[in-house]
Amino acid sequence: MNRAGFAVLRSVSKTYRRGPTGIDVLRDISFSVAEGEFVLVCGPSGSGKTTLLNLIAGLDRPDAGEIIVAGRSIAGLSLAAAARYRSQCIGFVFQSYNLLPQLTALENILLPMIPRARWDRHAALDLLDRVGLAGRDAHRPPELSGGEQQRVAIARAFANDPSLILADEPTGNLDEHNADLVRELLRRSCREHRKTLIMVTHDRQATQWADRVLELRAGSLIDPED
Amino acid sequence: MIYAKMMFGGLGRRGFEAISAAMILTFAVSIVVTGFMIVAGSRDALLRAERADRPDVVHVKGRYNRALFETPRSGNLPPLTLPVYEPLVAAEAFANLASNVLVLPRQSLLRNVVTANSFLNTYVFGIEPEREAQVSRFSVVQGRFLRPEDENTVVVDQASARALGVGLGDGIAIRKADGFDLKVEIVGILDNMNLHNPPPRTVDAPALDPDASFVSSGIFVTLRTSQVIFGRTTLTDALLVAPSADRVPAVVDQLHHAFRLEPGVFVTERYARFRRKVHDFAASLAFFLSVTGAAAGLSAFLIIRLLHDVYAERRQQLAILSALGFSPARNTLTLIGLGMAVALSGAIAGMLLAVLFAPRQFAMPSLMADLGSVEPRLDRLVLVLIAGSSALAIGLGLTPTVWRLTRHTLARELADPAP
Repeated sequence: MNRAGFAVLRSVSKTYRRGPTGIDVLRDISFSVAEGEFVLVCGPSGSGKTTLLNLIAGLDRPDAGEIIVAGRSIAGLSLAAAARYRSQCIGFVFQSYNLLPQLTALENILLPMIPRARWDRHAALDLLDRVGLAGRDAHRPPELSGGEQQRVAIARAFANDPSLILADEPTGNLDEHNADLVRELLRRSCREHRKTLIMVTHDRQATQWADRVLELRAGSLIDPED
Repeated sequence: MIYAKMMFGGLGRRGFEAISAAMILTFAVSIVVTGFMIVAGSRDALLRAERADRPDVVHVKGRYNRALFETPRSGNLPPLTLPVYEPLVAAEAFANLASNVLVLPRQSLLRNVVTANSFLNTYVFGIEPEREAQVSRFSVVQGRFLRPEDENTVVVDQASARALGVGLGDGIAIRKADGFDLKVEIVGILDNMNLHNPPPRTVDAPALDPDASFVSSGIFVTLRTSQVIFGRTTLTDALLVAPSADRVPAVVDQLHHAFRLEPGVFVTERYARFRRKVHDFAASLAFFLSVTGAAAGLSAFLIIRLLHDVYAERRQQLAILSALGFSPARNTLTLIGLGMAVALSGAIAGMLLAVLFAPRQFAMPSLMADLGSVEPRLDRLVLVLIAGSSALAIGLGLTPTVWRLTRHTLARELADPAP
């Protein structure tokens, strides 16, 4: 596994300003993730885990430092370029699923294909089948349980065959049984498709499946391996 | 389908609000469209009145001499020249006017006309045919109208032709000032004429409109021929067409200056009276326009508020779509689609209501009802105004959301719940 390559963060810092005061959410974060690696980012609430993921996804911009994903620097991308980058490279799994309630499960999976002008209904049905929701394609999110919704969200994250999956507390809103299901599904899907996975969680059980665990505390990285 | 669901699905309470607002919007827009239609119709009424009144025309005429009209009543005139207006207007006086002022010289006189079996008192008009046709209307039922090069030819109205017992191609004799007759040929017969600034009708003569107080018939000859009949070149009257109505005061000033030494020449214009009428009409129109403007403002505000609420509801959805790789342009198009659907459905429904229920015509409640009735109409300008105000409302309703989406980070939008 090439550790030096796929996603690289160098001296990344982020401060949120609330009036005259600034809160340092991330301080001088540097690490890299190899292609196909499963990296877990752990830490208590407010330690900057979600911000870190948002920066890698191009949903937010760092105040300092450099982020390179698949050889592309993403810190200074315009809104349109960042959208293109997410469409081509990133699959995102949110803690609160973020499915569109007015669309069916199948349509939610098809959604990321629209910007790529690729409308593959069979692929979407196949993804739904793989997450164990075959036959639920016409159901809308309010008609699905939390675990089922998160499985639809995972299928959606894989819709464009991205190289990097970012998962933000994917089991945070689920009970123990569903959390196990989702965790296993994510791990298995990434392994099968050789996807790089960066997952943010404070779920300690996930650490046993990860290739590497990074610990964030008060915006600073504590890498047990470094 | 998926786009339609993304745009219109899941509006929930806002969906009900949107339908209610669209209904209110429909009524508001119908009021606005009716207002604009009335304004458009009023503009037409003004233009119509301007065409009919011709405020750009100035009339210069010699003194009107009633005493000379006593003689013709006998019906058998001695060979006397009896002018309607005294021939006091020298054509040279117009030489100093601006070149873009059109001069229509006229000689109008009363003559004893003789045929083989009959004779008659009738008006003879010397005109320049092509110029005169720009302000007066002549309807030729037989033959043709006068041409500038015509000599010793006349066009006569049906009433006079009937009274004289003549027809197209016949000859008639008009007594000249020197006492001899001038033989002329009839080349055209009129069944209708609308002479601008005709002389008053005070002598018994054939008439196309027997009840008119102005002359409604006559024998028309070229100015050159009338000068031969009349025995002089001075004009009885002339019309001057200013390049635009607002240039009339300047033309009148020049004419007063030109005829300052001739007390028997009078200059009259309709511009001042027309301007007073128009001012009154414009005041009524301005009031109506301000009411319409207020209604338009209210409608636009309604659309803006509604779209703002709907868009605010959609901010998190837009952030999710952005996170999934939808470009800002694609998201904005989705928003515009929603706005267009809401605003245009209201606008089109309102327009239909207005077209169906607006009054077909009515008189403007002002002092100048004589401008004619107002006929509301849906013209291109009204459509452009409605489309423009709808687009503006959509733009304004959209601005806060687009501003927020571009200024705030997507991460923050994803974290913030919808209001």
